[in-house]
Amino acid sequence: MSFRKRYVRLTNLLFLVLVAAQFLPDRTAKPAECANVIWFAVGLEIFVIIASTLIKKEQGLSLVLDIVGFVYALLLLWTLASAKFMWLKESLFPPPGRVFAQFFIDFTQIMTNIRSSISIIVQGYLLAAVIAVPLGLFLGWNARVGNAATYISKFLSAIPPIVYIPYGIALLPTFRSVSVMVIFLATFWPVLAGTMSGVLNVEQKIIDSAKVLNVNPITMLFSVILPASLPQIFIGCNQGLTVSFVLLTSAEMIGARDGLGYYVKNYSDFGDYTRTILGIIIIGIVVVAISFLFNKLQHYLLRWKK
Amino acid sequence: MSKIEINHLSLDYFEKNNRFTALKDVTFSVEAGEFVSVIGSSGCGKSTLLSILEGIKFPSEGSILIDGEPIKGTGNDRGVVFQSYSLFPWMTARKNVEFGVKQAKPELPKAERLRIADEFLEKVGLAAFKANYPSQLSGGMQQRVAIARALAMDTDILLMDEPFGAIDAKNRTILQELLLDLWEGDGTKERKTVVFVTHDIDEAILLSDRIVMLSASPGHVYKDISVPFARPRNRAELVQTAEYGMFRNELLSLFYGDIADKIGGSEVVL
Repeated sequence: MSFRKRYVRLTNLLFLVLVAAQFLPDRTAKPAECANVIWFAVGLEIFVIIASTLIKKEQGLSLVLDIVGFVYALLLLWTLASAKFMWLKESLFPPPGRVFAQFFIDFTQIMTNIRSSISIIVQGYLLAAVIAVPLGLFLGWNARVGNAATYISKFLSAIPPIVYIPYGIALLPTFRSVSVMVIFLATFWPVLAGTMSGVLNVEQKIIDSAKVLNVNPITMLFSVILPASLPQIFIGCNQGLTVSFVLLTSAEMIGARDGLGYYVKNYSDFGDYTRTILGIIIIGIVVVAISFLFNKLQHYLLRWKK
Repeated sequence: MSKIEINHLSLDYFEKNNRFTALKDVTFSVEAGEFVSVIGSSGCGKSTLLSILEGIKFPSEGSILIDGEPIKGTGNDRGVVFQSYSLFPWMTARKNVEFGVKQAKPELPKAERLRIADEFLEKVGLAAFKANYPSQLSGGMQQRVAIARALAMDTDILLMDEPFGAIDAKNRTILQELLLDLWEGDGTKERKTVVFVTHDIDEAILLSDRIVMLSASPGHVYKDISVPFARPRNRAELVQTAEYGMFRNELLSLFYGDIADKIGGSEVVL
């Protein structure tokens, strides 16, 4: 790639425009703290320059640069519409610099909330997966029970798990345990259904091939049927993960005392929209980060597929 | 006592209340160290017969004895190579072979199993591909791995169900010669007992000591013929001899004569 293709791009131009825009006079009542946007943009630009130097494929680099360019453009519009021209109401649309500043002020609180949310997800999700996968293997392998179980799990997975929250609150001692239960239910049915359909769809040739090797039932189930069903198990796991985030944040908004959903809900109740926006952005980042790690795991475990 | 004795084997199955007879009163035996090909047109039940030998299908009547003992299902005295899908796609070539060895000889430590896997992958010419997954190997290479696994398991009996049926002509020739070399060995070891299903007459002649010809509807033994060529065999030399041509023609006329009888007409021109 030429120097021009690597370093002279629209993204870099947007960076300059974004930084320049911060020096326009503020019209906000309280300080707009535009310096924070400059620091953030400089940090991002350093990343861009490193990426431009290291990434070898033009397509990969373009993707990274386009994403960063989009972030710059959004920040630029936000800055202009809030701090610089006041097209938007200051109390409802705080300028970006203030949101960045709030992140550092609330850093410990945000970390505690992230930990709380993730630990609920991990508990509910892992518990569901650890029970649903072996159960699905067993039910799928014993096709007769499996047929009935397929219909039952289809029916139960059709019920939006959020409707269990009020009943869960009556049943369980803490709101935390209600959240874990809801995530458990949201994950359990798709993973069970995915595992069963995976087992039922394992090619007969593969099963015969294992049979003629004279494998014992445990080896058959865990060394043959499980890996052969893994692609479909992951479909269920992905579905469960997506729903889990929706449910957790909803649940936290209903009655929790911590967590990211609570953070957003609580501060919007107080009319603190700087923190509301910050919370929404943090939730987005956390969800993307977890999905990314999950995809990496899936890619690694299914590396044998074409 | 023969190594494998197939006694009056019949297999019926039902489909929508209709009874089909896949095999009817099939009887023959295979001696220890003998290479026997079972040939016949499609639908003659040759693969069904092999499935019963493998232990994944069960006869309606009759029995199969191995070393005088009736078989009751799969067993680790038999190694199997299918036409395709013998390998597990989530295991590397090396792991596939090692997994087979583990099933046949669970008492061996892992290091020893891996050593055996490497040794046999080397024998089939795939030492450089042992870390590849089946999806990264060609069809011919996958069959090499399957053969390496069956041989590495070191079973007395090898059952092969059209193992080269899905391979292109050139690679099929190479694989046949590889199998011939590996099976004939250098004479220091006892040869394995092989039952090899195919519909390719040249393949059957090149590889076998005996050819059992099955005839369709219902499948039964039509002819049982000894192959009169000395070992070790060399394809290039063998196919040039007059005896080979005569023997091949005789087999072909038997094979097609059977088909002509079935469709019942002398007007069938071959």
